[in-house]
Amino acid sequence: MINENNYETYFMSYIDNELIATERAAVEAFVLNEAKYAAAMAVFEKAKLHAPNVEMEDKIFLYRFPEMQASLDSDFKKSLYRKEAPVCKIIFTPNLMRASFAIAAILIFFVGIQLFKTETIIKDKTALAITNNASTNSKQTENTILPDNAPEASVNKNNNSSAVLNSLPFNKKLNTTKVKSVISAHAAFEDQTIASNNMNTNIVASTEGLSQDSRKNESQIRSNLMETMPIEEEKTISVIPTTYKEIDTEEEDRTINIGIIEIDGAAFRGITRKFSALLKRNKIEKEK
Amino acid sequence: MLIEPSFIHEQLSMTDLEFNICVDDYSDGVYRFILKISKNKEDARDIVQTAFEKLWVNREKVETLKAKSYLFTVAYHLMIDQLRKESKIIMTDSFDENANAITQGSSELKQLLLEAINNLNPTQKSLILLKDYEGYSYQEIGEIMQLSESQVKVYLHRARLILKNKLTHLEKMSA
Repeated sequence: MINENNYETYFMSYIDNELIATERAAVEAFVLNEAKYAAAMAVFEKAKLHAPNVEMEDKIFLYRFPEMQASLDSDFKKSLYRKEAPVCKIIFTPNLMRASFAIAAILIFFVGIQLFKTETIIKDKTALAITNNASTNSKQTENTILPDNAPEASVNKNNNSSAVLNSLPFNKKLNTTKVKSVISAHAAFEDQTIASNNMNTNIVASTEGLSQDSRKNESQIRSNLMETMPIEEEKTISVIPTTYKEIDTEEEDRTINIGIIEIDGAAFRGITRKFSALLKRNKIEKEK
Repeated sequence: MLIEPSFIHEQLSMTDLEFNICVDDYSDGVYRFILKISKNKEDARDIVQTAFEKLWVNREKVETLKAKSYLFTVAYHLMIDQLRKESKIIMTDSFDENANAITQGSSELKQLLLEAINNLNPTQKSLILLKDYEGYSYQEIGEIMQLSESQVKVYLHRARLILKNKLTHLEKMSA
């Protein structure tokens, strides 16, 4: 029963509509009897909240429609997928890389040898190649050396790179050291070839093929030789026997490549050591 | 941790139409309840949307008549989880109630009430809101908040006494 001690509980239950009809009537009668309880009830009434009119703005997104439940067929979805080509992955392992570099080095070595390999075969055993480091060109030297007693001398300008020399009785005045060296070389290596560092001076002479025309130009050629080869500048000629291959001089686009490959073993080992150390370091870092 | 309410029945199912009716009838109430406590519109929208998503997922298990309680239960626990995550026991985000709320009596009294309510803890505030705004019984509030009926009664009465005392004090101060 409501009284002065529990009236607040009854008042709050009354406000919360948690009382039955008889209890509500008892509370209303209790409030009507005392004015101070009516004031207390009014305060509780004021403390009761009234729901404000709040609307949710995005309510439309909460609705469900049958269209939203539509789903695509799995086969249709799969048909939309892009078919990708199989990807082949190349795995670069250290061993594979080492083998690749070794094969590449061997290939480069053999290709280089083939590219820079020069070999000349002497067609006739009497062919000689004489070199000097003078600045005379081939035409000048071609006209300088002519035999004295040769009945005919054929100087083929087209084939000025190959020479056949049977005898070389040159004028002592014109051919001093150079001619001597040629004769000695011819005598010593009759069947061998003579290599030259400068290919500009190939001398071609043939005692049997000398013509009368060339004999007439003998004096002129000698004078040219004197101009081009002064005695003071003559040097000892190093004659190196080598084998030559017949060259087709009529070919205009002919090129001759000369090269030397030197491999320093210590430096090469150093490079390989650094490379292997680099690979090993990368491997260790990957493992870490 | 969300606890599934005990009023889920497997034999009943909710149709699309019934669900849309629930949206019409309850979305504003749930949104208002969450907004009043969290004081953040975006959080309130997210919570309401999540609650209706859960209702849609469990539409075959939730009875249509219990949908409102289910929505408030889910929304309340989502809000509690949200408050725990953000440690937003004291709400700092301002919410302009004047834009949407209907004035109750005088604006001065309303302001005093808002100040008094803001001093309540989330549980007391939820109890007051569920009782005054939604008109739930003690038993229903207990189901929503996972409390017993007596607990709801005691906590709610304490909250009302706090509001009454605060209101009396503020009225004396203003007078």
